[in-house]
Amino acid sequence: MFNKMNKTSMLTVSTILALTLSACSSGGGNTTNSPKGTNETSPQSTNAAVNEGTSDAPKVKLNYWTEDRHDLAYIQEVVQRFNETNKNNIEVEVKGLSENYNQSVDIAFSSKQAPDIIRTTPSNFIPFVKKGYLEPLNGYMNAEMDAKFGGALIDKSNMMDGQIYSLPNYGYSSRLIYNVDLFEKAGIAGPPTTLDEMVETAKKLTEAGQDTGAYGFAINFKGADNSFEKAPRSIAELSGVGGYGYDFKTGKYDFSGFADIMTAFKQMKDDGSMLPGVEAMDIDPLRAQFAEGKIGMYLSISAETNVYLEQFPAKINWAAALPPTINGEIKGVAGYWKTGPWLSISSQTKHKEEAWQFLDYMYSDEVLQKYYEGGYGLSLLPDIIAKSKTPEVPGIEGFLPTENDGIWPISPKVTVDGTDFSNLFIKYTISGGDLDKMIEDVNARYNVALDKARASGDVTTEAMPDFDAKSMQGMLTK
Amino acid sequence: MTSLRKLGESYSFIIPSLIFTVVLGIYPILWAIRYMFYSYPGYGEEVFIGFGNFAALMRDEAYWNSVVNTAIYASGKIIITIPLSLVLAVILNKGLKGKNFLRAIYFMPTVLSTAVISIVFFNIFNSYNGIINQFLMKYHIVSKGIDWLGPDMAMFTSIIVAIWGAIGNYMLLFLAGLQSIPDDVYESASLDGANARQKFVYITVPMLGPVLQMIIMLAITISLKGYESIMVLTEGGPIGRTEVMYLYVYRMFFPISSSSTMIQQIGYGSAVGFMSAVIVGLITIGYFWISKRLNRIF
Repeated sequence: MFNKMNKTSMLTVSTILALTLSACSSGGGNTTNSPKGTNETSPQSTNAAVNEGTSDAPKVKLNYWTEDRHDLAYIQEVVQRFNETNKNNIEVEVKGLSENYNQSVDIAFSSKQAPDIIRTTPSNFIPFVKKGYLEPLNGYMNAEMDAKFGGALIDKSNMMDGQIYSLPNYGYSSRLIYNVDLFEKAGIAGPPTTLDEMVETAKKLTEAGQDTGAYGFAINFKGADNSFEKAPRSIAELSGVGGYGYDFKTGKYDFSGFADIMTAFKQMKDDGSMLPGVEAMDIDPLRAQFAEGKIGMYLSISAETNVYLEQFPAKINWAAALPPTINGEIKGVAGYWKTGPWLSISSQTKHKEEAWQFLDYMYSDEVLQKYYEGGYGLSLLPDIIAKSKTPEVPGIEGFLPTENDGIWPISPKVTVDGTDFSNLFIKYTISGGDLDKMIEDVNARYNVALDKARASGDVTTEAMPDFDAKSMQGMLTK
Repeated sequence: MTSLRKLGESYSFIIPSLIFTVVLGIYPILWAIRYMFYSYPGYGEEVFIGFGNFAALMRDEAYWNSVVNTAIYASGKIIITIPLSLVLAVILNKGLKGKNFLRAIYFMPTVLSTAVISIVFFNIFNSYNGIINQFLMKYHIVSKGIDWLGPDMAMFTSIIVAIWGAIGNYMLLFLAGLQSIPDDVYESASLDGANARQKFVYITVPMLGPVLQMIIMLAITISLKGYESIMVLTEGGPIGRTEVMYLYVYRMFFPISSSSTMIQQIGYGSAVGFMSAVIVGLITIGYFWISKRLNRIF
């Protein structure tokens, strides 16, 4: 058949195929499905068309990318409402990307197919700003928005060099989560408030759980950074110690505040109070074991409520409390997790005004209140919490913001030679060693990296001699 | 004129694959070679630091630990997989009943995704509710569950999983080699009174020489570069006990954790990748050299 086909017809078929394929590509928000069902390039929106607000005007299609899965159903619902109710012919399409989100955004930008609205997170905020992906929002915000969000903006998390790139919405509180039934069986009145109590409680819970194969404590060491952020960090921060080893007062790294915390973790491991296999355990298997009643307590975040409601329905009574502190004294705040930025506008979008109109809607009281009430995340805005009903999610009570919760300033990111601190401390917990020497070594390596980063201009954070972790108390409550 | 047109037609067939080779093969290598001399986290300024990344690499204990782990992982896998797959191939080359079914069973792991295999094995080996521990405890073989993925056993478990995944592939190559040995040779040996062991040692193994050489070379390069199974099974842990070279390289480009403490290091990652490629290359050249010498001796 191919032999018979002449060159002209082959060229024609190839051209049609190429055009069809290129028309099928996402095209950076410039293509849209017309009512006739054919893919056509949408004309550029004009202010006249937008202002007219007529249904005849061409639609402005915006792409919104997010890596969040837990709230996708709610987000789709509010986006649909926006699409149905906005008078400016704007249509937003949400795309949930669960894997390799940051790489997908990178590829989209380098191929000029960037989404118009981007979910930004604490881990990608600085890279995205430095890569020039995000549009500063200062020029779009009015006095009302300034007043609503001004107090919640965090440097290097919402802002860089005085420019606002993303406004906050929600975060997760850090808590000690415990098996109430096992506590009752062991005759323990309540959750521990000091490290010593935590070690003792873990031991008693393990004894009480012998007949059912339950252990006092667990931690997901497979994801070293993740487990470190959820457990030792929260204890350190509530005790007034920087959770990533950075001392905001001196502007240097000092991991010595972790000595007692890591000693307590090692003690629980040595006592046999930790669930066997924690070395290779990920967070989901840990949750599955907790739901089965095999774990007495662990440290995690407020996302656990929905996990025990939907993913691993809990067969036990459980509750959450503030993490313990080093010696019972609360000198700081339990740091929220995954806080700071939420939505941003792409610097490459051709529809910045329309994107801002959508952001204005997403950051409205109505959307934020229902987000909080739905239990998708704890609002970072005390005003929203005050106006909202308490989320109707079983177990949420223990996670609600208290005056001892807060958002710590952002620690500098540095590239360190050798093993990072989280892996080093986990190594100590599992196999021991000279902790003082380890701390001395990790301090030296991090400070060399910090000096280098400051010299190259990558890090601009300076010492804050007046910094007081206690002053953050009450920042999330009214 | 006609020959010119024919030449043009030939090139039109080559050009697409040439473009792919340049774009997806040569360009990324040149790109990585350039970044070996830069400090670059994937954004912002690229700072030229000469051999700075290599100097840091020499001091990087975690990397050299991963090189040692790779050597243990690869040798453990090769030493067990190759003889075992040879024995299996010899058995399944005989007129056994259901031999095709058995061949398919042994080959099955090769067509499964490494990630799926590793997840299944994670569930089999995990300490708290793994099938193996449950079995061992149920029949009182052990009183307490074995920490298969703990610091002492994780490498052993990773090797077991790797063997299971690779054995079918090598078995198939050996089967192809076995089928190329003429039956006359075995018949002559039988007439001379050779037993099964003698036939295996003096006929099968020597005549499989060229196939064996190729299989060993494949096994060396694949084992040294393998990391996918370990990434899913242990993420290189616990405490770096199963961290292998190419998993370390992968981490530099794509930090596995979304933690705020992780930073992409494209410059350093390129240097680590280059060093790892040099190590794999040197070992392969070493094997070729030994293999040639052995050819001359035997």
